[in-house]
Amino acid sequence: MSKNIIPVGPFHPLLEEAEYFTLKVDGEKVTGIDLDIGWMHRGHEFISETKTFTQSIYLVERICGICSTSHPLACVHAIEDIDNIDIPLRARYIRTLIGELERIHSHLLWIGLAGHFIGYDTLWMWAWKYREPVLQMFEIISGNRNHYGMMRVGGVAKDVDPSSIPKLYNILDDIAVKMDMIANAANDDPVLRSRLVGVGVLSYEEAVRFCAVGPTSRASGITADVRKDDPGDAYDLVEFNTIVMKNGDVYDKLVVRVLETLESIKIVRQCLDKLKNINGPILNDVKEISPGEGIGRYEAPRGEVFHYIRSDGTNRPVRHKVRAPSYVNIPTFEASCIGIPIADALITLAAVDPCYCCTERSIKVVDSARQPTKIDLLKISREKTDYLRRQINGN
Amino acid sequence: MDNVENFVSLHNTKISKLIKKKKRFYFNVKNDDVIEIADYLFNKIGCRLSTATAQETYNGIEVLYHFSHDESGEYFCPRVIITDKKNPEMNSITPIVKGAEWIEREMYDLWGIKFIGHPRLELLLTKDNPAGINQPLRFRRES
Repeated sequence: MSKNIIPVGPFHPLLEEAEYFTLKVDGEKVTGIDLDIGWMHRGHEFISETKTFTQSIYLVERICGICSTSHPLACVHAIEDIDNIDIPLRARYIRTLIGELERIHSHLLWIGLAGHFIGYDTLWMWAWKYREPVLQMFEIISGNRNHYGMMRVGGVAKDVDPSSIPKLYNILDDIAVKMDMIANAANDDPVLRSRLVGVGVLSYEEAVRFCAVGPTSRASGITADVRKDDPGDAYDLVEFNTIVMKNGDVYDKLVVRVLETLESIKIVRQCLDKLKNINGPILNDVKEISPGEGIGRYEAPRGEVFHYIRSDGTNRPVRHKVRAPSYVNIPTFEASCIGIPIADALITLAAVDPCYCCTERSIKVVDSARQPTKIDLLKISREKTDYLRRQINGN
Repeated sequence: MDNVENFVSLHNTKISKLIKKKKRFYFNVKNDDVIEIADYLFNKIGCRLSTATAQETYNGIEVLYHFSHDESGEYFCPRVIITDKKNPEMNSITPIVKGAEWIEREMYDLWGIKFIGHPRLELLLTKDNPAGINQPLRFRRES
């Protein structure tokens, strides 16, 4: 029986995002967990229905700062799926290049955070230091370190400057050396092994039951990877391996991400090789979208990003559904956190690389005739505090 | 397209309004059959539930489940249309597909659809709203 409750949240001190987990503990052991989301009010799904298709792509780019090309890519896939729009070969390679660079920087970010979570700050600083050159590559390609603004229906917005390709190769070579070093360190490091092996195990059966996606599911032995299963862009033209482990613990999730980063470097190199030789247009002109519905998906660093768009023939979507990978991965805590010590719970909660601003994209404020002012927000905050106080006091 | 043809031949009487596109397969099912269809897709042919989409139209409220068959990259999308807009109800597939728990709670929260048989039908996103359940994504012509 649970004797005590330990709250984690509503603002996570390490993840720096708003979520609230209630750990039910018996002594040192976690016996139950209650997941509570809904702390961010963003309204993306509703706003998207008020924007044109092109504006929607920019909107969904703002869903997440880390997956800021996965959402637009899944969104353009969904719009292109309505009319089976083809895109030029050069644009396919550019999309794949951007997507894989994002995977490298996202995985490096998580590796650093995981090190920070277990008190191994050396790993944190190294991983984030080596993430910086990836952001420089983004800046060279798109002009932005984040929110690249590259995706368009029918292709990409900006071309890769041929004169910048040698510089991109140089930076990529540096990243590859450092990633090999991190991969060897992850393999050999006794600190990581003793802290992560056997911690927070998500079994194959549970991963299937919870419909987990991405590295979370691949660490448990599920081979699903959208890049292989439903290849869009240039993924059927490049060679790479799907990394699958079988233990499902936090260490395997780390290994999957490290090895996936090496695969991504391989893909980026192949894309750069092709971009040197392939010339041609980068954008097919799409005049209008027919009535219909389309599903787009992309293997984001955290797993499958899913977008569903329905069009009525106008220039706006009538329904735009967004499902981020964390939305299906966060509920797996119910399986992976039970029975482990409290000290292991935090790294287990971080092991799926949760992203709460992705997960809670859909809330809409009803009957808001005007933008709330500071005074309104203060009033709402006081009302909420009173409401919570009444609930706690039971009247 | 073996999976799709097998599926259609086995459930010929239960599905209608088929739309076949490249790797995408949309069809309508009745509320009474949705559990059986979900059971077949999830347990028999090994689909994974990606998510579900609710939408209000002038005919009713549509709930469209998206089952991904990862081996072939195909999507099976059963669509249930709830015509009673004042008191929308349908059968929950959560007892069969655990991964549907949150999305059905979200649809209950944002659209007011009651999922019969859901093990924990509580508000997911707006539960702390002092105004209570207000179904923010429904049409509001009357107000």
